[in-house]
Amino acid sequence: MSENLEQSFVAQLKANQNIIHKICRLYTAGEDAHKDLFQEITIQLWKAYPKFRGDSKFSTWTYRVALNTAITLYRKTKRTISTIEYESHQHFVKDVDYNYEEEEQIKLMYKAVYQLNDIEKALVFMYLEDKDYQEIAETLGISEVNARVKMNRIKGKLKKILNP
Amino acid sequence: MKELDLLKKDWKKNSDSFEQISENEIYKMIHKKSSSIVKWILIISILEFSFWTFSNLFINTDELLRKMNHPEIVLALDLLTYFNYIVGLIFVIIFYKNYKTISTTIATKNLMSAILRTRKTVQYYVWYNLGMIVIISILSYFIAFVYNPDMAFLREKLAADGKAMFFTVGILILIILGLLGIFWCIYRLLYGTLLRRLYANYKELKKIDF
Repeated sequence: MSENLEQSFVAQLKANQNIIHKICRLYTAGEDAHKDLFQEITIQLWKAYPKFRGDSKFSTWTYRVALNTAITLYRKTKRTISTIEYESHQHFVKDVDYNYEEEEQIKLMYKAVYQLNDIEKALVFMYLEDKDYQEIAETLGISEVNARVKMNRIKGKLKKILNP
Repeated sequence: MKELDLLKKDWKKNSDSFEQISENEIYKMIHKKSSSIVKWILIISILEFSFWTFSNLFINTDELLRKMNHPEIVLALDLLTYFNYIVGLIFVIIFYKNYKTISTTIATKNLMSAILRTRKTVQYYVWYNLGMIVIISILSYFIAFVYNPDMAFLREKLAADGKAMFFTVGILILIILGLLGIFWCIYRLLYGTLLRRLYANYKELKKIDF
C-alpha cells in the first residue's frame, strides 16, 4: 500500500519536476542552493502527499506546496544575489537564440526580479506561469482584487528598478 | 509592461531546459529528513518535559518534608507538582497541534498566522517556566525557613538582628536572580535560535500585506 503510494508519488513528481525547478530558479542562486531547495520541496510534497485527495490536479497542488516551502519553511543563507552568482546561475539555462538587445533586456529583468521579496517573487512566478488571478489569490490566501493591486505595484517596482 | 512580457517569453522558452532528476534520486530525497524548524521546537519541548519529569523522580524531598511534620505543605507541594505536569503536558500538546497546522498545503496567509501562533506559544512556555522557577524558589526558601525545625536557631538569631535578616534576604534574592539568569540563557540557546528563524520567515510572509 505505502509502496504503491511511493511509486505513484515519484512518478507524478518526476513528470512535474519542472515546476519545482522553476521555483528554485527564482528563489535560489547557484547549483547547490537550487538542489537544496529542490530537495526540501520534494520532502514537503511527500509529507503532504497522503493528504492529497486528487480533487485538484497534482500540478496545481505542487505549485502551492512548493511556493509555501520556498517562502516559509526554507531559509536561504544568503539574502542577496551578486552579479557573479547571477551569471553562473544562467548556465543552468540553455541559450537558444541570439538577439543581443533582447537578451540584455531579459538579463536586466531577471536581475530586477531577484531583488523582489519572496512574496512578490511568488506573484511574479505565477504571472509568468500564466496563472489567473483567482488561482494566485487562492494560493496566497488573499482576495482577487488584492492580488491585482499587488501585481500592479510589483510592475511599478520593477520599472523603478530598471529605470532608477 | 513590455519587459515583463519579454521575460515571460524567455521564461516559457527555458521552462523545460532543466537537468532532469531521475526517479531514483527522488526516492532517495523523500527518505531524507526535512529541516523544518517547527519540528525541532516540538522535539526540544518533549525532551525538556521528560527531563523535568525524570529529574523529579530522582530528587527526593519527601524525607525532609516528613520531618517537618506538616502534612498540609506536602499536599500543597504535591498539588503544585501535578499542576506543573498538567500545564507542561498541555504545552506539549499545543506544540504538537502547531506542528500539525503548519502545513504547506494551506494558503500562504494562513501559514503566516500559524507561524505567529507557534512563536507566541513558545514565548508563553518560556515565560511560564521562568515564572515557575521563581515561585518554586521563593516557596522552598519560605518552607525551609519557617517550618524546618533545623532552622529554628537561625530563625531566632535573625529575628533579633535586623541587619543579618536584611543580608540573608538579599543573598536569597541574588540566588534566585542567578538561577533565573542561568535558565534564561538556556532557553535563549534552546529556543532563541529557532524563534529567530521562525521570525525571519514571518517577516518575509508579512510582506503579503504590503
